[in-house]
Amino acid sequence: MRRAFQLWQKIFLLQLLLLVGCATQLAPTYDKNVVDGLNSTSIDAMTLFASMSSGSKAQDFGTRADRYASLIGRLDALALAAGARPLPKNKVTDSINRFLEKRGATALSDDDATPPSTHAIQQIAVTFSKMRDIDQKQGVTAYEVLAFKGQASIYFDQAITYENFLQR
Amino acid sequence: MAFDVDQLMLDMKAAATGVLNTDVSTFRGFSERQVEAIAKQSEFVAVGISTGQITPETKDFFLDSIEDMTLSFVKTLRGLIMVTIEKVWNAVVGVIWKAISSATGLVLPVPVAPAAPAAPADNA
Repeated sequence: MRRAFQLWQKIFLLQLLLLVGCATQLAPTYDKNVVDGLNSTSIDAMTLFASMSSGSKAQDFGTRADRYASLIGRLDALALAAGARPLPKNKVTDSINRFLEKRGATALSDDDATPPSTHAIQQIAVTFSKMRDIDQKQGVTAYEVLAFKGQASIYFDQAITYENFLQR
Repeated sequence: MAFDVDQLMLDMKAAATGVLNTDVSTFRGFSERQVEAIAKQSEFVAVGISTGQITPETKDFFLDSIEDMTLSFVKTLRGLIMVTIEKVWNAVVGVIWKAISSATGLVLPVPVAPAAPAAPADNA
């Protein structure tokens, strides 16, 4: 009886070893430079919005051109830095996908090789590019400034939350 | 040394729960913030277009962006969940390996899976 029990324990251990596999990485590594960059560009972005809270006129666009260029340039650089960490593809991701498919759930597709924060940061840059173009062409209404601000804030929240969460 | 399966199961559950309890509050907070912000942005843009305070030059841009930011929110949530799955998985692996080490009397380092090369992106 005792020998059978010890044999059962060994079989269980062996099955555990086979099932457990190894430790894994399913997300990019944390990068403090990206987090710091996001925090500082977010401050500059909100400062720019505050300075334009009553709208803007195309005639004095020249006084704002450099601020736009600095923000957009830094955001483009941040997007590059955030995207330079590819998501590792390994057996665990495939196993999770097979597990989900067997249970009728949609598998997590591997179509995005870059972190979600990269797209969010790119969209912040796109937002400011559009605002700059409209500002230069015809000025921006106070209402439009608030709409641009709302949009940028949503994307900033996505990027900052994700990047902070990578610290594990 | 005997292998205590019941204790291992308790330790595995504790490791998983420990990670999940902390992370679920982050998901919930993020989801609530995003859903509220996107809903408010949608209303703001709709009102702005109907009152003419959002000009024709920016109308389509804001409307298209609402669609994009919603998808981006879902993908970010998925990304957060993947981080949590990784943490739970590694916490449970660590507990199992420690139990095996104790049972066998050997010090076994937790093995790390070699990452396969990432598939090349096929976007144009």
